[in-house]
Amino acid sequence: MTSNNLDILKALEAKNFQIQIGKLGTAAIQAPVGKHRDALKILLDLDEKTAVTAITGIDLGASVGVYYHVRTSNSFVTIQCEVPKDKPTLATITDLVPGAAFHELEVTDLLGVVFEGHPNPGRLVLPDTWPEGVYPLRKDVKINEVKLNTPSSEDVKLSDGSGLVKIVIGPHHPALLEPEKFAVLVDGETVKKVEPRIGYVHRGVEKASESKTYLQDVYLVERICGICNSCHATAFVEAVEKILKTDVPPRAKYIRTIILELNRLHSHLLTLGHAGLEIGYETLFQYFWRDREPIMDLTEMITGNRVISSSLTVGGVRRDIKEADIPKIKATLTELRKKIPFYKQMYENEPSIRMRMQKVGVLAREDALKLCVVGPVARGSGVDIDVRKDEPYEAYGEIPFKEVVYTAGDTWARMNVRMDEVEESINIIEYALDHLPSGAYRVKVPRVVPPGEAVNRVEAPRGELFYYVKSNGTAFPERVKVRTPTFANIPAFLKTAIGESIADVPPNFVSLDPCFSCTDR
Amino acid sequence: MVNITTWARVKSPWVLHFNSGACNGCDIEVVALLTPKYDVERFGIKLEPSPRHADVLLTTGCVTEQCAERLRRIYEQMPQPKFVVAIGACACSGGVFAGNYSVVGGVDKVIPVDAYIPGCPPRPEAIIDGVVKLLNSIQQPKTKEKAKSDDEQ
Repeated sequence: MTSNNLDILKALEAKNFQIQIGKLGTAAIQAPVGKHRDALKILLDLDEKTAVTAITGIDLGASVGVYYHVRTSNSFVTIQCEVPKDKPTLATITDLVPGAAFHELEVTDLLGVVFEGHPNPGRLVLPDTWPEGVYPLRKDVKINEVKLNTPSSEDVKLSDGSGLVKIVIGPHHPALLEPEKFAVLVDGETVKKVEPRIGYVHRGVEKASESKTYLQDVYLVERICGICNSCHATAFVEAVEKILKTDVPPRAKYIRTIILELNRLHSHLLTLGHAGLEIGYETLFQYFWRDREPIMDLTEMITGNRVISSSLTVGGVRRDIKEADIPKIKATLTELRKKIPFYKQMYENEPSIRMRMQKVGVLAREDALKLCVVGPVARGSGVDIDVRKDEPYEAYGEIPFKEVVYTAGDTWARMNVRMDEVEESINIIEYALDHLPSGAYRVKVPRVVPPGEAVNRVEAPRGELFYYVKSNGTAFPERVKVRTPTFANIPAFLKTAIGESIADVPPNFVSLDPCFSCTDR
Repeated sequence: MVNITTWARVKSPWVLHFNSGACNGCDIEVVALLTPKYDVERFGIKLEPSPRHADVLLTTGCVTEQCAERLRRIYEQMPQPKFVVAIGACACSGGVFAGNYSVVGGVDKVIPVDAYIPGCPPRPEAIIDGVVKLLNSIQQPKTKEKAKSDDEQ
């Protein structure tokens, strides 16, 4: 449970907001329609690091619930609103928190809540062929009877008469590993505007999770993202464990921590290499990916699979770490540690890296706070947020490690955050192996999940990953909401690309470590 | 002449990778193929960014509604003869996402597929094996019926 800052709750109570401490595993603030902005304003005034983590929409029968999940520097609260289903409108909060723009659009798409005053309303994740007025996450929608419109061919106008030229990147583009479309409007070489169209990888996971059992959902949410799959699994099973009030044995916590850090290691090495590819430095890409392979082998040794590990389950982990494997793991990590100084001095001294990355995509600290960015993007801009430190989960509370923060805010700083985190991850795994508690690695949990709801946060390689799970006492969850780190980080790219050269778009973009399968779900 | 072109195609197929709604699990394994440990360039396989120059289309992931049209268009842009490899459980059948509201299904719902490589995700060795098997099979030219049915698609 979050250790909530009492000052914040007192300030809210003084303004007559009803507070339920312990609800959702944190604190829930009831806000009548129209008052949610006031509650948010109080939080914004109290703490500069206040940011909207996610907005959950949920069908409550006669009404639609809109839950604003807000993080401050030392607490995590939820502001709950309800709007009637026949007239679901709510005032926007994008003027207070510009970073909430995407979150609001998603609720509009999936549940039909209209946010009055939103700066650029439109479709976010649903396909173009999806009919108007049908909202997939409403319970009364018969999803099999939805008739899709016929696809119309896209008419891309290269210029709209304003003198700007539109360069369309995607859905299929050599620089993108995933399908997504970004229309970049340029004046000569200078980027004037970026128009994103995400949703190409939208698979409707949130809806699908409502028709699968909790155990099946563990496998489903892992497949939201193949790269940070263990983080998704951890976030989901922890939320379910919060509802079940199950305590996980200490050994399971340590094993989970090791698996999560291996996930982070391979993800960071992947991005550091990919950044090399995007700046035309393919040797660096090959080097990083060569050194990433032993980590994949370790993951396979511990969990049984190279990529999607499927090793976490409600109540613990599915496989123990064998004593005989520990020296092998340590030897591999020692080998990797020896290579880090080489890469570090590469990033320090190599002129081509410095020229392509330094002062590119500069995100000032104030903008990082306003746009609610997370993970290495925030830490590269001097915002010290890390869920592992702020709200320790698993074994992170017991393991000493350094929170890496750079202040330059450019592409180079973001990549260096990851570079240093590789080293920290190695430290964490070594510490966890040395202090691995004995005992069970899994406990039996009740098969029926009692009614309840919980929010949970995990620090994925790309930043804060958020889950909201609501149980209604049946075998299937009532609602599973996922807010992934890239979803929160894309606004940073849309802002920093403006005014820079079109050639700086790829390194800037890859420095977010974008993962669209996460973003769209 | 036919022998020479087939020989060239088998010795150096240019592949195009398209993700039509994958979770990245298969994608990172496809990229791992190109990196030092697996290094498929030793079979002459080269990753090609443009569909117009590609011989083999490696597809990963289930096909989402939004991507189906784009996948078809990419396939149409490839010159004949063309081959499609579906990598991973999702590309083969839709996988865990089959039946979701914005998912069409496996790749074969949209374009004809020549080789299926199951797995979630398949190991890089399995992908190499699948591609090499495909290369062996194209040493025999396509039957007339196959070429005809591909043209009709």
